[in-house]
Amino acid sequence: MNTIHYLMDPVQRGLFLPGIVVGLGVAVMCSLLSVLVVLKRLSFIGQGVSHAAFGGVGIAAVLGLAAGGAAYLGVIVLFCLASAWLIAWLSERRGASSDTAIGIVLVTAMSVGAILLHESVGRARSQPGSFVAPPGWESILFGSSIGVTWTDAALAWGVAAGIVAALWVARRPLLFWAYDEASARAFGVPARAMRLMLMVLLTLAIVASMRLAGVVLATALLVLPGATALRLSDRLRMVMILALVIALAGVLGGIVLCFEADWPPGPSIVAVLTALFLLSRSPFPVGRAGA
Amino acid sequence: MPSAATPFAGPAIEYRGVSFAYPGSGGSRPALEGITLDVRQGERLGILGPNGGGKTTLLRLTLGLLTPQSGSIRVWGMPPERARREGVIGYVPQRLEAEMAFPVSVRQVVAMGAGRGVAPWRALPRERAGRVDRSLALVGASDLGDHPAGKLSGGQMQRVMIARALAAGPRILLMDEPTVGIDPAGQQRFAGLVRDLHRELGLTIVTVSHDLRAIAAGCDRVACLSRTLHSHVAPEGLTPAVLAEVFRHDVAAIFGDLHVHAHPAAACPDPSHGEGPARQGGPA
Repeated sequence: MNTIHYLMDPVQRGLFLPGIVVGLGVAVMCSLLSVLVVLKRLSFIGQGVSHAAFGGVGIAAVLGLAAGGAAYLGVIVLFCLASAWLIAWLSERRGASSDTAIGIVLVTAMSVGAILLHESVGRARSQPGSFVAPPGWESILFGSSIGVTWTDAALAWGVAAGIVAALWVARRPLLFWAYDEASARAFGVPARAMRLMLMVLLTLAIVASMRLAGVVLATALLVLPGATALRLSDRLRMVMILALVIALAGVLGGIVLCFEADWPPGPSIVAVLTALFLLSRSPFPVGRAGA
Repeated sequence: MPSAATPFAGPAIEYRGVSFAYPGSGGSRPALEGITLDVRQGERLGILGPNGGGKTTLLRLTLGLLTPQSGSIRVWGMPPERARREGVIGYVPQRLEAEMAFPVSVRQVVAMGAGRGVAPWRALPRERAGRVDRSLALVGASDLGDHPAGKLSGGQMQRVMIARALAAGPRILLMDEPTVGIDPAGQQRFAGLVRDLHRELGLTIVTVSHDLRAIAAGCDRVACLSRTLHSHVAPEGLTPAVLAEVFRHDVAAIFGDLHVHAHPAAACPDPSHGEGPARQGGPA
């Protein structure tokens, strides 16, 4: 029982507890957004934006910014937003399908990230002491719970609180836009602002999830809880609550799996969430009102 | 300046020499040209035209979602943009593009129409919630309030869309292809509903459709639109010749069961009339 051992031992607890707290904050923000992501079919855009974060990490690394710092995260957020804008521009103004636009931006951002990381690794080797070594590839791609600090935890919960507040404040226009985008403007709902807001919230959630879940797996948290919850209920409030519970269960279950099997945290969380998704297709759907 | 709340004596909608071409169409042929039309207060006007004839464009101009290159539009005496903000027009979309599995109840859908002017973070005031109830009752959908919206039939959904438009407290109801995807019995019920709404609320109702039956069932006056406005006549004045000109088709083939016989397309006086650029006929 590694989990109990880790949590009972004060030294180990100090190492792992901040990661767990980050994970719970990430579960809160991603679960609520995941319902919108699934309903608006934005999961591939989410993939595009989260992979763009890899490019952002490359830029932050070549600038010599310390991993996890405010400047580092700021650069990644800006790069992700620029990529989201580029996807919209390519598909709206350049006649590319949104699918193609995402495909192009995704691979370009990954390549930019790979080249810049390569460069900064070389520089860190040639100027040891004066240039910060970038984080390892594996932790960027798949996340790591090692070295997560209480500052990271505070940041994650700050972002979670911001996202929950934004969703609550804009809930009525956001719901109209999500349900019937074509008519929203005719009813005075600022459709563009809603889309922009959702893209910004998604970017913040992706960057906040990256540390723990990594670039590749960050979007899993933005898709699986919502996808699972939508199979269990057709009441919006219940779907939101279920998504939250599923995401929390996924993160906690994934962390236990990570401790017990000594797997990296991101893939462990995804394994649990995917298992829950598959289980939700049980022959006895729960809480399906009016079916 | 009139507002949606104040009485207003002029035409409900006023089009004056309105022309519009989509950017990128190279100015080759505008989607709409020289549209001049008054929609009188309290009348039921049908705008009949073929797909690609500019109906959707006219709708979007009326809602202030597009701006004409020349000419002017006044909705309740206001620029369309402002009329939209003030909720003068209740818009009923052509077949909902929304996700059918969206987890909302009928009441939640109708309530979406009632939120204009209320700060988004505030709950709907009681007066607005009452408006949602009345709108549901007006379309005979009170018993559907808690029903999941994704499980409605086409006809029920159409009524819910009308209730959503009514919940905005409009002066004008603007309906885009209201009978698409509804069976004949449902279309008849729909025509009855529109008649009742017109009588009870005194709304100005504009119906845009390519379907002669949708127009003939509940309009006092018909305007025929195919890039230009061809005529505006009472439904019984829709002669085969007018229809053939607007649709550029053998009308008998389209409206066979109405026993209308018309000239073939070759008899159309202006060969440029007909299908516009593809995007013009796109979804509303």
